[in-house]
Amino acid sequence: MPINVKTFQESFLRSIPLILLVYICISEFHTQFYYWSIFSFNLQFIIIYYWVLRDPSILGYGFVFLCGIINDVVLSLPMGTSALSYLFVALVAAYVRNATVRSTMFTDWFTFVIAALIGNFITYFLLKNFAEMKVEYSSMFFNSLFTFILYPVFWFTFEVYKRLINLKTYD
Amino acid sequence: MPTSRDDFGIAIRSALLQRGAKQKFSLFVLIIVSVAILSLDNINLKPIKILRSVINDGIYRISAISSSPIKFSSATKDFFVNHIFLYKENKQLKLELQELKKEKLNTSYLQAENKKLQEIVQLDKESAFITVGAKIMLDKNSPYLNSAIINKGSNSSIKLGMPVLSKGHLIGRIVEVNFLSSRILLLNDLNSRIPVVLSPNGEQAILTGAGRKRPVLEYLPENFEFEGKGIAYTSGKDGVLFSGISIGEVIEDQIEKRIEVKLFSDPDQIFLVNVVLEKSTDLEAM
Repeated sequence: MPINVKTFQESFLRSIPLILLVYICISEFHTQFYYWSIFSFNLQFIIIYYWVLRDPSILGYGFVFLCGIINDVVLSLPMGTSALSYLFVALVAAYVRNATVRSTMFTDWFTFVIAALIGNFITYFLLKNFAEMKVEYSSMFFNSLFTFILYPVFWFTFEVYKRLINLKTYD
Repeated sequence: MPTSRDDFGIAIRSALLQRGAKQKFSLFVLIIVSVAILSLDNINLKPIKILRSVINDGIYRISAISSSPIKFSSATKDFFVNHIFLYKENKQLKLELQELKKEKLNTSYLQAENKKLQEIVQLDKESAFITVGAKIMLDKNSPYLNSAIINKGSNSSIKLGMPVLSKGHLIGRIVEVNFLSSRILLLNDLNSRIPVVLSPNGEQAILTGAGRKRPVLEYLPENFEFEGKGIAYTSGKDGVLFSGISIGEVIEDQIEKRIEVKLFSDPDQIFLVNVVLEKSTDLEAM
């Protein structure tokens, strides 16, 4: 059976966001980019929100769930915590996609605040009630803040990437 | 606003339940599964524990491998940052090292000087002579001239002919006196002549400088036989040097067939000396 190089290349390029998400979850990205006691951001939220909003065919909900489970295992969180928060971020993104006709960077950015706050709130709530872990509310707040601030940077990066691989935006 | 509420409900329902073209699971199902897993994990069931430990083992290994590039990049960054500041640090360390070397040398010098001074002080206490300590300013040692200049002169009551000791042993005598300095003629100088007495038999002789390290014994008794050991002391026969000052060990030069004295104080190593002013009247010191 001849291998269609073009199809393979296209499939691989379309899988990059997923590979990135899995890699970030496995490689303890969250703990390794933590500076000055306050700076940390949740790149998983950004990837999930952007791709579910702009092209859900690239990032399936099943993979989002799996990445959440992996993240829980790597960070020793109660299993299902990250999965739930990621799924709620995806839910907000899916809602915005259904509710809006034409999205811009600014509409995405400001609706992302709700997604990031809900995601971090779920994590905080579950850890506070279902785990014997001490969680600082301020660190969650700063995480949400920096994730929100950095969203446009990744938005433009992903837009460039999307145009590079000639993807059609989701209608 | 019933229309707006309806729109919100429709959009949420759609988001939760719609699977889309390539979605195999709806969000609603996955959220329910997540809640179930969370609950089971919270209950601490044994199968869940086993499952979790198996997943942990697998993922930890993968995580360790996959996080290595990030760790490597972090380490590389630290490496380069350290190297950027290395030049400055090296310069600073060199300066510090220089300072420390200077201090070390200074300390070493002071230690040596202190030791010598202590020896002199000790000698002053124990010696049978009243002496004045002096420091070698210049030393001129050559085959033809073996003398040294000290930093004490007539201002310290030093007079011509006074014996000079190093570590309690004779090394020469004063041949020139200035107000602030004096010259010592060392025992190995060609011009040096000292009357000595040899122990244990008490033979009299003249210790003559030969321009070498070891002075020679001359005018020994005709029937003198070297017994293998002996010590030379000043005899005081010249009326200038005090008697009983140890000089060195008597040895025989087998090649040149002559009797020499191996000085107790090496003339090349002297640094601080004592000039004997007079004999002590302290009986305990005697």
